[in-house]
Amino acid sequence: MSAPEISRTATHGANAPDESDRAPGAAPIGRRHSRRGRSRALTLLVLVAPSVLLLAVINGYPVVYGLVQSTHDSTLISSGAWTGLANYTHVFTDPSFWSATLFTLIFTVVGVFGSWAVGLGLALLLRTSVPGATAFKVLLMLPWVVPVVVSTTAWNWLIATSESPIPKLIHALGFADPMFLSDPTTAKVTVCLFKVWASFPFMMVMMSSALAAVDHALYEASSLDGAGRWQQLTRITLPNIGRSTYISWILMMIFCVNDFPSIYLLTGGGPANSTTTLIVLAYRTVFQNFQVGTGVAIAFVLTAALVLVSVVLYRQIRKVETA
Amino acid sequence: MSRQTRTGRRASGRWWRFALLTVITLIVLVPVLAVMWLCFRPSSSSSSHAFFTLENLTHVFRDTDVLIWFRNSLVVTFATVLVSVAVAAPAGYALSRGRGRAISGYSLLLFVVQSLPIITAVIPLFILFARFGLTDSLLGLTIIYVGSTISVATWMMAAYIDTIPIALEEAAWADGTGIWGSFLRIVLRNSLPGILSTATFAFLVAWNDYLVALVFLRSSGRFTLPVGIETFFQQHATDWGSVMAVSVVMLLPPAIVFGALNRYFSVGGIGGSLAGR
Repeated sequence: MSAPEISRTATHGANAPDESDRAPGAAPIGRRHSRRGRSRALTLLVLVAPSVLLLAVINGYPVVYGLVQSTHDSTLISSGAWTGLANYTHVFTDPSFWSATLFTLIFTVVGVFGSWAVGLGLALLLRTSVPGATAFKVLLMLPWVVPVVVSTTAWNWLIATSESPIPKLIHALGFADPMFLSDPTTAKVTVCLFKVWASFPFMMVMMSSALAAVDHALYEASSLDGAGRWQQLTRITLPNIGRSTYISWILMMIFCVNDFPSIYLLTGGGPANSTTTLIVLAYRTVFQNFQVGTGVAIAFVLTAALVLVSVVLYRQIRKVETA
Repeated sequence: MSRQTRTGRRASGRWWRFALLTVITLIVLVPVLAVMWLCFRPSSSSSSHAFFTLENLTHVFRDTDVLIWFRNSLVVTFATVLVSVAVAAPAGYALSRGRGRAISGYSLLLFVVQSLPIITAVIPLFILFARFGLTDSLLGLTIIYVGSTISVATWMMAAYIDTIPIALEEAAWADGTGIWGSFLRIVLRNSLPGILSTATFAFLVAWNDYLVALVFLRSSGRFTLPVGIETFFQQHATDWGSVMAVSVVMLLPPAIVFGALNRYFSVGGIGGSLAGR
């Protein structure tokens, strides 16, 4: 992780391509308008062109077309009559939109900080000398590598009904069946915990690589000064991995908000819509209730919020970077 | 404190941590172990009482469409990997070597694009692709997967190409080689780890996708594994042996790819490339 940054500062220096563009001995003046400079810019343009084209068709077009749809009485086949902002007022006055918004927030906050706490804890544990650390690292990656469809299937088998192994075990121990997926409140907790289970390996890897970059001498110096473990964690470790932590939070936030299959395959958004997030709500509005205009409007509100938040946070990264 | 007791305490600490990690790992892997267990045990409808059996696997391959879905998943995934790397490598090169407003604007755009919820793209694209007969088609699916991997893939390539010293190229330019030549012969040739990690990323996205396949694929002959497996749940009583056999088929390729390439694939690389821009 640190290697690209080192070279980046190097390329920012005297070696920047604008400078290196001129061959040794060539006249420095008029470089920007030289034939060579222009052909160089043209080549770079050709190199990015395919990706620009793809972005325009797969990501740009849907945004524009979606804006059109959200202001029309759309169906899956036609755009329908222009209805102005009716779809948006419909969305904002619908209580199910607000309950989905609330659960999206809960799911994201628990997903981000829960997986971070577990991932950081394991990264700290794996940094110390432990027999078989590499094997643990590989095995602990599995929840993240296993396709979500497979892991939700496995969890469904383990907990879905009162006849599943874990509820039976809990019952045998003398406790009441928690109804993991059938009680509205418990289902919320279950879905959030599933997300933590599926995401902590990502955090573990991010935090491990950040911890590896912390200078060891800092710990030696601080223990000479009599710092305890807790002080070392809060005064040395956490400040030194601050930037990586921040980046991993942003990425995880995006992953959580955009997560469709975890929730859809565990609960379908139920029971009684208790685990419906905005993305599940948008899907169901379009493909189950066939209210395309409204569904796209929900997706747009979500998109606008996410883009806004991530651009603000993106700027923040650069500030953290230069600080 | 004598030296001996100190090292003794340290050694016992090592084993305590080992025990702790073993317990945690076992708990975390319960669902994965459940999949394996059910896959290799005789299913409830079976007459066999063997401890270990392959009959669930042979059953799903022989009597259901799993082989077709497996092939579809492989075709779509490999096509996505190839095209995404082919598009992202030159774009990453331009992003890494170019300077100026257009380039930094483009890099911000890539960041915004990667945070777009895929559901926003799926609905309009469904309508667009219907016009060209690309719904219920593996080609249509591949195009969307390439489109949705391209922003992160470009970053990952750019971050890797940043580590290749520009001096190597300057020497070639001085000898009269063009940018194309230095890109192909110097940069690409030295980018294998970057290419492999980008490929792993694209592989995981395409292989694991559920939402796009759910919306676009309609006929069983075109299903990929994630939507195919759902058909097993429509029966009244789920045959868990078959479901878990399909799960194992789905789980193995990413586990193998990840196991083989994990030293190239640092998730941190994605974060690092994000941070640098």
